[in-house]
Amino acid sequence: MTERHRVRRPGPAPVIWGSVALFAVLFAFLTYQLAVGRDPALGAKVSAPDRRSIVIRRVIKHRIVTTVVPTPGASSVSSAPSVSAPVPVAPAAAPVVTSAS
Amino acid sequence: MSEHDVVFDAMGSHVRLLIGEPGPGMEPAPAAAEWARRFVFEFDAALSRFKPDSELRALNDDPRERVPASPLLREAVRAGLAAARRSGGLVDPTLVEEIESAGYVASRAGVPGAPLGAALAEAPPRRPAAPARRARWRRFEVDDEGGTIVRPPGLRFDTGGTGKGLAADLLAERLRGYSRFVVDCGGDIRIGGADAAVTPYAVFVEHPLTGDRAHVLRLRSEAVATSGLNVRIWRDPDGRYSHHLLDPSTGEPAWTGLIGVTALAGTAVEAETLSKAALLSGPGGGREILRDRGGLLVHDSGWVERVGPLAAPPTIRLPERAVA
Repeated sequence: MTERHRVRRPGPAPVIWGSVALFAVLFAFLTYQLAVGRDPALGAKVSAPDRRSIVIRRVIKHRIVTTVVPTPGASSVSSAPSVSAPVPVAPAAAPVVTSAS
Repeated sequence: MSEHDVVFDAMGSHVRLLIGEPGPGMEPAPAAAEWARRFVFEFDAALSRFKPDSELRALNDDPRERVPASPLLREAVRAGLAAARRSGGLVDPTLVEEIESAGYVASRAGVPGAPLGAALAEAPPRRPAAPARRARWRRFEVDDEGGTIVRPPGLRFDTGGTGKGLAADLLAERLRGYSRFVVDCGGDIRIGGADAAVTPYAVFVEHPLTGDRAHVLRLRSEAVATSGLNVRIWRDPDGRYSHHLLDPSTGEPAWTGLIGVTALAGTAVEAETLSKAALLSGPGGGREILRDRGGLLVHDSGWVERVGPLAAPPTIRLPERAVA
């Protein structure tokens, strides 16, 4: 008479705990994948959203008002460009010229 | 703002008068200009080294030690001595023999000068001039009480170094009451009048090498004078180039590295003294001489250097004002 090998069925507890453990492992793995941006549902890698950069620009307006003040004690202002200086000059029929004589 | 404008030749140069409105009780500008013109001719007749009948020639030829002299001659000698003192002997009014030896025995009015560029190329090495050791000018005395001039017989005096400046100053005193005036005696210029203080005159400085405008000065009540080598320059009998600005220490024409100097001062005599002294001193000494009142040095190369107040950048005042 052949002894019939009997397969013992596992109890419910190992099945339940095994299922729970497997679920926890898979859940943790998928959570990790999502956290690092590798969403399996999207397929391709999606980078984490960029941080919004805020540029602060300091706008400086220079408004310079100049006033030429004659040198104290000297009543003359001169220069080649001073032809266009703001000081009005007396008109003369011919220019007054200083030269060696 | 009308002005009476008169130009005529005197003292070996051009003379120009610009005279504005007369003050209360003063004669009209044309009459003042005519008086000034006559004064300049009398001044020249009395003080010219080249006119045989001038009072200056009479002084130089007089064998006496104490010579009667007119107030004008005394004033001219006094101005020459003041220039010598002011310049430490560089502007020496007693170099008559030396200037004649260099070939300047007659007026060069109307005589074109030799080319300055060629003269510079042949000129000896540059060096500053120095006062004469003997300082003969110290032996002149002006005695106003006695109305005389005292000096060793034979020692001659030349008012040419300060003559035009003195004429400008004397005329300026006469024109003081006019609203504005310019007295230009061959480039030695006095400017004055209340209006000139408000609206200054533009005075062009002529470049000695090119004749172009080297600079523009805006002058109110003051004086300006220019000394240069470009006008009275000639070849002496030996073929060397000579000019009228002598080194008192050698009696020879001075080649200092400068060919022209323009000086500002309170009076034309002072401006003329400063310009001559600066030119004779060369670039280094010239800067020092012009430092207080300002002026221009024109170097042998043609470079125009601004000195003193003219070299200072304009003062800029930034008013306190809210920025929008």
